[in-house]
Amino acid sequence: MKMSPEYTKAQENMQPGVITSDGFLGDDTRNIVDIIEADEEEFSRLGMDFDEVVGILRRLLEEGRKGLGEPVTIDGKWIVTTTEARGHLASPFEDGIYRKVNALIEHAPGGTPDGTSLLVSDLSLHLMEKNHFLQGKGASFRIDPETVKKVLEL
Amino acid sequence: MTFDMLFFVAPAAIGGISAGLAALISITDKIVNNYGDITIDINNGKKELVVKGGQPMLFGLAGEGIFVPSACGGRGSCGACKVKVKSDVGPVMPTEVPYLTKEELADDIRLSCQIKLKQDVDIEIPEELFNVQEFQATIERIRDVTHDIKEVYCKLPEGMEITFTSGQYGQFEVPPYDKVKEKTMRAYSMSSPPSDKNHLEFLIRLVPGGIVTSYVHQYLQEGQKVRLVGPFGDFFVRDTDAQMICVAGGSGMAPFKSIFQDMLDRGTFDDRDIWYFFGARTKKDVYYLDWLYKLDEEHERFHFVPALSEPQPEDNWDGPTGLITEVLDSYLKNTISQETPKEGYLCGSPGMLDACIKVMGDNDMETEKIYFDKFA
Amino acid sequence: MNAAPVLNPFALFFASIFTSNILLANFLGMCSFISISKDMKSSNGLGMAVTVVLTVTTALNWVILNYVLIPLNVQYLRYIVFIISIAAVVQMLEMIIDRVSQALYMSLGIFLPLITVNCAILGVSLFMEIRNYTFLQSVIYGLGSGLGWWLAIMLLSAIRKKTEKAPVPAGLKGPGITVITIGFMAMAFIGFSGMLAVQ
Repeated sequence: MKMSPEYTKAQENMQPGVITSDGFLGDDTRNIVDIIEADEEEFSRLGMDFDEVVGILRRLLEEGRKGLGEPVTIDGKWIVTTTEARGHLASPFEDGIYRKVNALIEHAPGGTPDGTSLLVSDLSLHLMEKNHFLQGKGASFRIDPETVKKVLEL
Repeated sequence: MTFDMLFFVAPAAIGGISAGLAALISITDKIVNNYGDITIDINNGKKELVVKGGQPMLFGLAGEGIFVPSACGGRGSCGACKVKVKSDVGPVMPTEVPYLTKEELADDIRLSCQIKLKQDVDIEIPEELFNVQEFQATIERIRDVTHDIKEVYCKLPEGMEITFTSGQYGQFEVPPYDKVKEKTMRAYSMSSPPSDKNHLEFLIRLVPGGIVTSYVHQYLQEGQKVRLVGPFGDFFVRDTDAQMICVAGGSGMAPFKSIFQDMLDRGTFDDRDIWYFFGARTKKDVYYLDWLYKLDEEHERFHFVPALSEPQPEDNWDGPTGLITEVLDSYLKNTISQETPKEGYLCGSPGMLDACIKVMGDNDMETEKIYFDKFA
Repeated sequence: MNAAPVLNPFALFFASIFTSNILLANFLGMCSFISISKDMKSSNGLGMAVTVVLTVTTALNWVILNYVLIPLNVQYLRYIVFIISIAAVVQMLEMIIDRVSQALYMSLGIFLPLITVNCAILGVSLFMEIRNYTFLQSVIYGLGSGLGWWLAIMLLSAIRKKTEKAPVPAGLKGPGITVITIGFMAMAFIGFSGMLAVQ
């Protein structure tokens, strides 16, 4: 599929070593428009809404920050560990800079993690909300739709 | 002209013209991109370096043994490599602006990785950067202190020693691995005391998605060589009689381990009251307990207060519970002497620092007497 | 082939700036004209860059045309050869600007390499060939056209500063009103066409 110059530029910015050392694409060789399209289809197949999911994830991240770096149990279903570093990361779409805040959201029904987890960041949530871009397969911050469904119990 | 001739002449003409132009470009490149040698004047003539022009200032300085701190390795994404540039090097680049405050812009602070050395420059950097050294250290021991924190003990090369003040930090470089195609550096506080001149120890907590921490936890082997640069930072114990209110969480233990051990070595540990608040979620996230409890028992003026935010039933925890800020608040209000002046020493995430500074401020501690590292 | 025209260089110079403005009389070099004129500072930088590129490439292309292509009888290669030489000049210019003014380099950004495909540049070289200019005339024509381009973009960006705040109908905001503005400017300039001969 033909990509607009903005997407081509964004895809260049997503390569390892441009904004983050390991990039946003993992070992995915598809173009970002194809990744976005496939994930959008996957989302609607699973009956999930981007804005709703972003809303929940963002709430978990902000609640998690209250733990000041230590894991926090939220709603008895999730254990969220946030890590913050000083400074900001630029969005590959060049539409803003985002705090370096990561949250590891572990699905933990009854307080014990069951092994499924999501890793989100301020930037990854922005990419998800604004561009429906969930990052390439194999990227550290890939937000996989199936995993979202499992972890968030949607 | 015959048809055959044309077949030859046309490509030859284009080829010849292209070659001529290519030669012209490379000549221009040689002339334009040759900046010759450039003199960097540091701190009004305290040091003068002659480096090759054309490269970023950060690398020019590093080549001469002046290591301006940088967490991203010159990509312009960490904003750490700030220097004051006194001579004119052109306007601030759009790539620098997000990392500079208004005050810094007014004070001619620039990111040294974004400034190309084109002419002689005058810069100002903190004097302690002159002491910064580079080591090819060997990993002597890696130990798990909790399920996600490793204690990494590095031996400096034979014949090399490091002089630092406890509380300072060093930079730890890991090689390219997996999808990471470049060497990556991160700053960690030294947890070894300055008296151990041939070693540096760091406490490294696994950060999900973190490049250096993931490497340390998954790949780093004993016996391996790593590049270390240090010491950096102005986080150290002020020489006063004030009570020290120390707060840490997770790997924020590191500078305090170094500081307490250093004070023991110097015999100044009993000279003042020290409160050490350590926050964790469950008992498996607390470490060095035996050592700290022992210090608490043996030294009357040292008080160790570990607090768990979510103690598990099997922890049998009877100590303080809640967020470290809540415990700190209650101690500042009820337990710690109100009469003696206090100094705050903090190590942790930006969120924890902000929360602690607020609690300390609310309890009438002076903001300028609260110390913490800005790199975290 | 016609004999080289007898043309007063001064007349040619002013003609190429005003009466035969490359932008407003020939409508060449429109795309960067419209996109860059939003911002006066970049307009100034790009105008300067176009002027330099035009002067240098027209001169260079004249030399290549008269000393290589015509003697070898391969004039039909002029399009490809002119484009190569323009690309090369832009490359060199880019390096020089990077060295001389980092700020200008940053503000020109992508538009500097885009000059390569700016049709005004190729257009001027082709006019130079069609009109059988001498070397001196070519340099003057290149310089004049560049200055004309520079003048036009400065005028337009000044006008756009005004139209930005003017109550323009929503659908015409941005490029719409800009194209209309260019139309008016072109009418004003075309009013003088023919006063000075370019050929």
